[in-house]
Amino acid sequence: MENEHVLDLIPEYLDGSLDKETMKDIQRHLEKCPQCQQETKEMEALLKAFKSDVVPVPSERLRSRFEEALEAEKASMGKVVPLPLEKKNRNWASSVLKIAASIALLVASFQMGSVFQQKKINQELAQLKDENLDMKQTAMLSLMENQSASKRIQGVAYIDEFENPDESIIQALANRLLNDENDNVRLTAFEALSKYTSSETVKNVFIEALEKEKNPSIQVAIIQTLVQIQEKKAAEPMKKLLEKEDTQPFIKEQIKAVLPSLT
Amino acid sequence: MEALSDEMIMQKVAEGNLDLLKVLFDRHHKHVYNFLFKMTGDRMLSEDLTQDVFYKLIKYRSSYNMGSFKSWLFTIARNSLKTHFTRHHKTFEDIEVLAYQSVEDAHDMTENNAHLQNALNRLPPEDRELILLNRYQEIRYDDLAEMMGSSPGAIKTKVCRILKKLKEIYLETI
Repeated sequence: MENEHVLDLIPEYLDGSLDKETMKDIQRHLEKCPQCQQETKEMEALLKAFKSDVVPVPSERLRSRFEEALEAEKASMGKVVPLPLEKKNRNWASSVLKIAASIALLVASFQMGSVFQQKKINQELAQLKDENLDMKQTAMLSLMENQSASKRIQGVAYIDEFENPDESIIQALANRLLNDENDNVRLTAFEALSKYTSSETVKNVFIEALEKEKNPSIQVAIIQTLVQIQEKKAAEPMKKLLEKEDTQPFIKEQIKAVLPSLT
Repeated sequence: MEALSDEMIMQKVAEGNLDLLKVLFDRHHKHVYNFLFKMTGDRMLSEDLTQDVFYKLIKYRSSYNMGSFKSWLFTIARNSLKTHFTRHHKTFEDIEVLAYQSVEDAHDMTENNAHLQNALNRLPPEDRELILLNRYQEIRYDDLAEMMGSSPGAIKTKVCRILKKLKEIYLETI
């Protein structure tokens, strides 16, 4: 360092802000280096000018305005002093709200859960019911095909299990009514079908059955039902029955009695 | 109270002891004023801006971050100055105006003062600002670096370079 210029360190050297070791190094260098001595002298003059510079003084107005502003701020702060208390209250209120909200959430989720559970159960129940109905329908249809007449009657009687029997059941019952060899099965099938007289299929089946039926008690029942529902199309087969020789006399009388109300 | 550092006092102010701001005002308002005056060369403007700086001190007391109080104070002062010049669409590189204004004020300065001020006025504003903060406010290089967003080493080198330049100007005019 002794032989290097120290120009860059001169301001700090003059400020005395360097460590002792560096200060000594610079001193030693300055003793031998006229260029750096010159620089130091000049810099010293400048820094002295700074030190001796008279700092301009602001007017008293500055202080008084500052103090006014400070008082104003203190006054506005005074109004705000209860803030921490309010904050506490707000905190208390908000924590109560939070607790209430969490309880509400808990209850809501519990109820939602039970609603969903209920829905699921209902769905399962409905499914089970459907399955049950399917099974019953299958059982019913297969029973109606059974060789034993009593089983066929049992099958036909299953109609009570269905609130809204579908077309296949109606068709199966119609088959029994039209084609079964056993009188009792036909009668039971007729009774079962007579609950669904609003169906066009059932009406047509009855009219067809009237033409085919040989059993007088079933004939009577069919005639009564057809008259009851005022089925005009039934008039023609009834007239035919009147003309037939093998028709029981009391059936003919029955027809004669009701025919005017149909035509 | 006199023994307490600026930082400790400002901390108490931030906590709500507003009266202590008077201590800080007493300690620093002249320096702020001086800095602004040497930057603008305008007494009235400097007084207004100094006023503004201390208003901001009151207003933003709670945002004081425990750092060096002086650098915080002069950061506010620099910002006020910047805002003023942007608002009035002047660049403060208008040295001719400054020189004129400082001449106007020169009658209540010593000859030495006037020389120094004239030399300072011939520095670019950024350089002048750095020298003022370094020489008059004795703000440490570390804090200056933080204020200027630079490193202490770079600031030290810059200050040294500006001082050399200023010295040339100063000796020329004497």
